[in-house]
Amino acid sequence: MKRRHLLSAMLVAAAFAAVSAAGCYRVRPSAGGGQTTAPSTRTTRPADIALPPGYRIEVVARGLTFPTSVIFDDRGTPFVVEAGYSYGEAFTTPRLVRVDAGGQLTLVASGGRNGPWNGGSFANDAFYVAEGGEMEGGRILRITPDGNVRAIVENLPSTGDHHTNGAVVGADGALYFGQGTATNSGVVGEDNFQFGWLKRKPDFHDTPCRDITLAGVNFPSNNPVKPGEKATTGAFSPFGTPTTKGQVIRGQVPCNGAIMRVNPDGGSPELVAWGFRNPFGLAFSPDGVLYVTDNGYDDRGSRPVWGTGDLLWAVKEGTWYGWPDYSGGHPLTESEFSPPGGKELPPVLASPPNPPPKPAAILGVHSSSDGFDFSTNDAFGFKGEAFVAQFGDQAPTTGKVVAPVGFKVVRVNVANGVIEDFATNVGKTNGPASRLRTGGLERPVAARFDPGGAALYIVDFGVMTMSERGPSPQQGTGVLWRVSRTGGR
Amino acid sequence: MAHQLHLSRRLATLLVAIGIMCGGCATARRRPPLGPAPALTGQAAAGQLAFMDKCNRCHPGGEAGLGPALNDKPFPDFLKRFQVRHGLGVMPHFSKDELTDPQLDAILDYLKALHENPSRASKSGA
Repeated sequence: MKRRHLLSAMLVAAAFAAVSAAGCYRVRPSAGGGQTTAPSTRTTRPADIALPPGYRIEVVARGLTFPTSVIFDDRGTPFVVEAGYSYGEAFTTPRLVRVDAGGQLTLVASGGRNGPWNGGSFANDAFYVAEGGEMEGGRILRITPDGNVRAIVENLPSTGDHHTNGAVVGADGALYFGQGTATNSGVVGEDNFQFGWLKRKPDFHDTPCRDITLAGVNFPSNNPVKPGEKATTGAFSPFGTPTTKGQVIRGQVPCNGAIMRVNPDGGSPELVAWGFRNPFGLAFSPDGVLYVTDNGYDDRGSRPVWGTGDLLWAVKEGTWYGWPDYSGGHPLTESEFSPPGGKELPPVLASPPNPPPKPAAILGVHSSSDGFDFSTNDAFGFKGEAFVAQFGDQAPTTGKVVAPVGFKVVRVNVANGVIEDFATNVGKTNGPASRLRTGGLERPVAARFDPGGAALYIVDFGVMTMSERGPSPQQGTGVLWRVSRTGGR
Repeated sequence: MAHQLHLSRRLATLLVAIGIMCGGCATARRRPPLGPAPALTGQAAAGQLAFMDKCNRCHPGGEAGLGPALNDKPFPDFLKRFQVRHGLGVMPHFSKDELTDPQLDAILDYLKALHENPSRASKSGA
């Protein structure tokens, strides 16, 4: 009898513990990787980074300010793109710098107050760099090795939350680039004022690539532009502008949440695919398929969305991928996407342009899975897998997490969606080096193989702490790392 | 004597409950990097695929993230099944249409493999 009592008590205790575990999310404060006080200087110590056996990592260059990409010229020399802008409204000078032996940096070209420069490629004896366009709209720049800068595309809709990203060169010789959305989930709100751009561009909003019909769902909010007043805003519309059921928003190119391509000589961009949120990283697989990383929704703004992972997509021409009503092929009406305690999220579109496809992989919620590349070399290993840099969460601004997410490089088998760590900080917890008080990775934002595929370069953006007031990026803390084999596996 | 035995059992029950509660909310500790076992066999390999589709985004690699860690929990399988099927707190429930019983069993095998296999990591910088 007593044994039965004990068993019952243990079952009750176990059930109670399970409930307690499930309730942890509500009870605990957010514990994002950036929610820390960083040391005043950054140290680098490769031994603080764990890799699979047979690999080593070393520092190539340090002291970079907001680096976002590495580009190799036709001689295999690495060049780093420095953004010139960071979340947190930190404006610096966008730069393309050559990385010489010993980590010496030599300026090739610089830009104005229109960052962030977000990446690029080398082709046709020139660099092609995406200028994010926070102030004047996005551009694709052609930069010659002697520093001549010319825009081959201008006026991309980049003055919102997300920018112009890329570009990569296709087998057809065209430049493929990504254009992020203006908003989190289609509706301009107070979060965009906090980001800084709504004050600058009060009429800016998302532009669809093709005609869409709205469901007429509107969202009330405070009016930060006119304190004390309220506003009602519909999707794909300026702040404070409601929409009606059946209202058609005309599509146009260039547009938001899209992959577009352009001739290297310039001209009008052409639509490749749309319905992305922030297509940041682009790379062609060894068999010639274009893949893109897409940052998932945040738990913020007038239409907050919860629990959506970052996505890796295989891009099929002409397809709509689901933003702003789906995540990974699932409608946001599914209850798991409503913030805890929130209402069901109604679709803002009357009907989806096409059934959205399934992603190649679903990465961590708020991991900010960004620049990536495919291994093409048996000598390096994991041939055909995608190596994805994860910038790491920006909690609490983008939403609460119970532990740091990202701050590492993962490899993805695009054939089955399996994700495994490749380079991550040593320690009992995950997180950026500044939080762990080590000399490891901070915020990896891009990963790219050298032209022979023998070494993987990791672009580490540097320290960016987070608080309720938003991001605090630190200049001069960016690092370029290189991973190579130590010998046979 | 019987009274003392009863008290000690109640104390043991309480300690077990506290222990499980601590395990439930403790998310900080993770497995040593890197990643899962080198060779997942049979059902655990199938479980890895299902885990990547349904679980990984909130519990990346079984570690904490948006949700708590799964790879360090002492809960018995029946409790994990209950939580997956019914959802508790902010965790969504997964119906048998979304996640079949064999898939769920496979995920539990995969979680066991995550818990049991040693790290493959090497500290770098050599």
